[in-house]
Amino acid sequence: MSQSTSSSYISAPRPGETSWLWLIKIVTGPLLILVFILHLTVNHYIGSLPSGLMTYADVVHYYQNPIIPAIEILFLITVVTHSLIGLRGIILDMNPSRPVLRAINWFFSLLGVFSVIYGIWLVLAIASKGGK
Amino acid sequence: MDQTRNQPSAGKFLSWFIPVGRQVGGWAFALNRLTAIGLTVYLFLHLFILGKLAQGPGAYDQFLELTENPLIKLGEWAVVVAVLLHGLNGIRIVLTSFGVGVTRQRQLFFGFMIVALLLILMFTVRMY
Repeated sequence: MSQSTSSSYISAPRPGETSWLWLIKIVTGPLLILVFILHLTVNHYIGSLPSGLMTYADVVHYYQNPIIPAIEILFLITVVTHSLIGLRGIILDMNPSRPVLRAINWFFSLLGVFSVIYGIWLVLAIASKGGK
Repeated sequence: MDQTRNQPSAGKFLSWFIPVGRQVGGWAFALNRLTAIGLTVYLFLHLFILGKLAQGPGAYDQFLELTENPLIKLGEWAVVVAVLLHGLNGIRIVLTSFGVGVTRQRQLFFGFMIVALLLILMFTVRMY
């Protein structure tokens, strides 16, 4: 994409970006906005602290509703996928060499998988605290 | 492939920070990428810090006390500002990607940015 974007420019896959990756990035964007509004509202406005933030007890209580861990895991997968595909796209704008791009692909894939596994473990760990 | 596109250049990245001579589309481009980079850094920091929840109430509630620090509050404000700017600019990109408003991108950009500024103002008043 040229930086002197004309008014008729429309987003499209870059060289090195498959149509699927581009489509996932475009589709996860609006989904993220919806889940982010829910995430922000709950975590920053309805907690018992004067600022609206949730205490540890609030978070554990909140996670006892089974739909909440499901939504948070959906949010996690969506946001990690969107951000890493987006960051890769930014790097593609600088036209990296093939070996560099291959290294970036591996690094981002591992980072994404690790982040999602870590996040799911964290969500389940919090949810499990309520039974104790 | 068009050989004039995407040539490697550090100057190309640095030019995102230089407002001189930029068209509206260039501003939208820079805004989208700069907020994306900031939000990605925040995302992984956020995930790391939320690990305190696994350490129990002492660790997490002690961390919450930090959120009263003015610098942390400013950081939180910056995250919400970045999300609003990136998200609303992103809606424009999604719309035009599917052929909606392609010839009205300037108006769409300004319209969404006005909405973003109003929401930022509301959040700022609520926060402070």
